[in-house]
Amino acid sequence: MKANSNLLKVALFVLGNVCAMHSFATTIQDTVFINRGQMMAVDSTYIPYFAFNSSSIFNKENSRLIIDTGDTMELTVINTDSLPHGFDIKNYPNIDSVIPANSFAVISFSFDEDGAHIYYDHTFSEGFRYMGLGGMIVSKNASINVQRFYWNMKEHQKEYNETLDQGLAVNWDEYYPEYFTINGNSNPHINTDPIARVVGSVGDTIHIYMVNTGQSLHSIHFHGYHSTIINSTKFPNHVGRSKDTFGVHSMEAVVVELVPDQVGEYPVHDHNLVAVSGGNIYPNGMFLTLLID
Amino acid sequence: MKYTAYLILALLISGNAFGQQSTDWFLISRNTGKKVLSNGDSIRVFGFAQSLGEQPGVPGPTLFANEGDSVHIDVWNVSQGAPHSIHLHGLDVNQENDGVPHLSWSIGHMEHGYYHFKAPHAGTYLYHCHVASTIHVQAGMYGLIIIKPPDGSKTTWDGGYQYVNEQSYFLSEIDTNWHTDSVLDHDHDTTNTIHSVEVPKFEPQFFLINGLSDQQLVDAGESFNSAVGQVDYTRLANIGYRGVRVTFPPDLHARIISSDGRPLPAEEITDTVYVYPGERFGVLTDPSVEFTGQISFDYIDLNTMNVDQTQVIPVNVSGFADLDEMISDDLAFSIVPNPFDQTSTVQFHLSESKKVRIRILDLMGNEITNVQVQNLNIGKNSFEIGDELKASGLYLVQIFIDEKLSGLKKLIKL
Repeated sequence: MKANSNLLKVALFVLGNVCAMHSFATTIQDTVFINRGQMMAVDSTYIPYFAFNSSSIFNKENSRLIIDTGDTMELTVINTDSLPHGFDIKNYPNIDSVIPANSFAVISFSFDEDGAHIYYDHTFSEGFRYMGLGGMIVSKNASINVQRFYWNMKEHQKEYNETLDQGLAVNWDEYYPEYFTINGNSNPHINTDPIARVVGSVGDTIHIYMVNTGQSLHSIHFHGYHSTIINSTKFPNHVGRSKDTFGVHSMEAVVVELVPDQVGEYPVHDHNLVAVSGGNIYPNGMFLTLLID
Repeated sequence: MKYTAYLILALLISGNAFGQQSTDWFLISRNTGKKVLSNGDSIRVFGFAQSLGEQPGVPGPTLFANEGDSVHIDVWNVSQGAPHSIHLHGLDVNQENDGVPHLSWSIGHMEHGYYHFKAPHAGTYLYHCHVASTIHVQAGMYGLIIIKPPDGSKTTWDGGYQYVNEQSYFLSEIDTNWHTDSVLDHDHDTTNTIHSVEVPKFEPQFFLINGLSDQQLVDAGESFNSAVGQVDYTRLANIGYRGVRVTFPPDLHARIISSDGRPLPAEEITDTVYVYPGERFGVLTDPSVEFTGQISFDYIDLNTMNVDQTQVIPVNVSGFADLDEMISDDLAFSIVPNPFDQTSTVQFHLSESKKVRIRILDLMGNEITNVQVQNLNIGKNSFEIGDELKASGLYLVQIFIDEKLSGLKKLIKL
């Protein structure tokens, strides 16, 4: 009954936010729900999972929070779980909120530069983040005419998710994930995600926003093209490098610019080739293609 | 017919006028190779050879071309079982030549496959089989491709740095449990281009540099040899499934100048280079003192970020470079008098406006002076050396043009 009462308050608060949305041109409102569920992996294995979703219905793909650079977002985070959860933004000062079970918090943030950032649950030694609670914030310059695609990379070891789901600790020194995902999908399903699958034309300017909200480092290799690193939260000195392969560290956000100069369909994949498998089956891992006409 | 012949002749002449050559590579893909490991055990490998009588090596042969060359590869697959292919990693070839079976094509037993591309920017690239690549790469089907500048010179790229020696450290691992018949002779569907294959847990026991590990590196005499003032170029490439942290001795004065076949927009002065799977880096070294040491290679599990194992390459910097080789052609760099007693003058020529820095080191590598030269002229310039060199002995004078090391000379104070 208390939970219902809390959720009613939340609903009223969200409604108020929506009504207020048009009052401030540079402040936008959004809402994410912390949901508990099961992620179905590429081989139909179910894994205990959490996600930040745009409704209270669980979806293994975390919401993307997209704002124009310089704008402020007032984000309502509603915790639908029976445990408290956290909300933080990597490298952003003074956010680290803890949201009690069936309660909510309102968090404001803004970015003065274009780029990708990571929001996540920092509690439980980031165990909940590993279990899915890590998403992408994009601050973009709306006046730039580019095509944008978004990759949230993760990986999972089923046994670790199950152990953490019981509130127990795991030994990260023995971590060996079996599933590798972009936006919750593995090959061949990544290519059916229009947010992830890059489709464009020769001469287009394409920005790919990547975050690694998993534990492992992913070494991303592009066939067919070099791309230019235009943003990195961990290695700002890498900006400007023209690369066909680069590592994306755990909790790093990277943005690359791709200007295709030839037509064709070309793979992009983790070049730690074990990560191209899923459930120990090749090629069911972190693999997708670019389609350029 | 006559006109066609003229056209072909004209094209050949114009091609040669721009220095473009035709480069042909021949590779035989095999799946019955044997590799001896550092513990003396022999394992089965896949790989590439260049003749039927040759065992496929791990890594395969290093392939060379010059920027702008028209490269043609004939791959003959002489192996039962799954087909093979060549992915030209980093060369940005078109889809037809990309080597991914379901998007390009693969080569069946006793078939030939032909790949064609124009050699792009000078740099370091890879080739590897892209059929069931997780298995076939670990099996050994990989090698290096080195694209030299158009003139084939010892220069990092056209207009880049001159160097004396170059060496490549090609990094990978071996898990012997993957080198069994049950793993290597995996199922393959002859009616399908995507082969669904079971992948064992990867727990490598051997960590390789150029296909060798531990005592094998010692027995092969693998070492980094240089001289004071000698600029060398090191190519780092990783085809394994671990990250590798490469640590150079500080006295080598390492700096990363290129990656993935492209110059870096800003050089990174660092002793430590992380090379993740599929990456390549170009590192310039310029030792300032005689010493012995080692380059260490830490193989990092990318799931735990723990170091699995470390390999080392000994470093021996002995003697002094033939400094006359280290001077840019148009610099006309000289020091007179040399030897000197009271003062000496560094002279150099500039054909256009540039920033010039002069650095002087003693024999221990200590920096004596490091100054930006002011009031420069187009043409002849000079810079006086005197009181800053207190002790008698040998010094090293370096001249940097727009922060690029362009000249080196020994200087003796009496």
